[in-house]
Amino acid sequence: MEITKTQHATATVLALSGRLDGLASPALEKEIDAVLAAGSKVLVLDLSALAYVSSAGLRVFLTAAKKSKTAGGRATFVALPAPIREVFELSGFLTVLDIRPDVAAAL
Amino acid sequence: MSLPPPHTLTLANDLAEIPRAAAALEAWAEPLDPPMPDLMALQLALEETITNIIHHGHRDQAPGSRSFTVEFSAPAPGRIRLTLTDDAPAYDPLARAEVDTSAPLEDRPIGGLGVHLVKKLMTHAAYERRGPHNILVLERALGTPPAS
Repeated sequence: MEITKTQHATATVLALSGRLDGLASPALEKEIDAVLAAGSKVLVLDLSALAYVSSAGLRVFLTAAKKSKTAGGRATFVALPAPIREVFELSGFLTVLDIRPDVAAAL
Repeated sequence: MSLPPPHTLTLANDLAEIPRAAAALEAWAEPLDPPMPDLMALQLALEETITNIIHHGHRDQAPGSRSFTVEFSAPAPGRIRLTLTDDAPAYDPLARAEVDTSAPLEDRPIGGLGVHLVKKLMTHAAYERRGPHNILVLERALGTPPAS
């Protein structure tokens, strides 16, 4: 999986590309922790190029949302491809996570 | 169209096996031309069960010190079956408690989602303890509409 970080005025966008499996998820968690440690209040995860996610990746997403909220900010998930959206729905994530159509809507 | 013959893959108890198993499933299934959501659902089920075997079945074992198998097969046209066989202590992953997917963010447990997703995404799932082996059979009918 590739993670591309873009810094905006008030938000940090992490664009994920490829497969977020149990082997790849620790690297994403580390990257998210670094963004939060740097004081970013708005974390945007762009999933438009995400081909696959398993429960290990979902755990990282849920943890990111919880940590952001605790820090007084938010984590927003944007541009979910259909199969990723189905996994979010089955996990009940569509109701607990902040989900928006695209990056522009999340800034 | 002739169905591809069953293929057995031997895996070590190491999370690094996850992408290798996913790629092997994709290569084996190619003649069946599975729709992308079906392939992703099967790869997800494969990853979750491999992770369960490593974390629960072979807990406290050094990575790479144990092995188990997964057989890919097509029991009928338009149907893919994964059969996982390991010799760890008896463990039925399907018996895990249901997760509450309607709980608010703060109350949402971090774990337990994997088995929930496997049950939702597979057309058929069955566990059996046979002699010294745990045998988990997972099947998905190709073209299954999105579950909810």
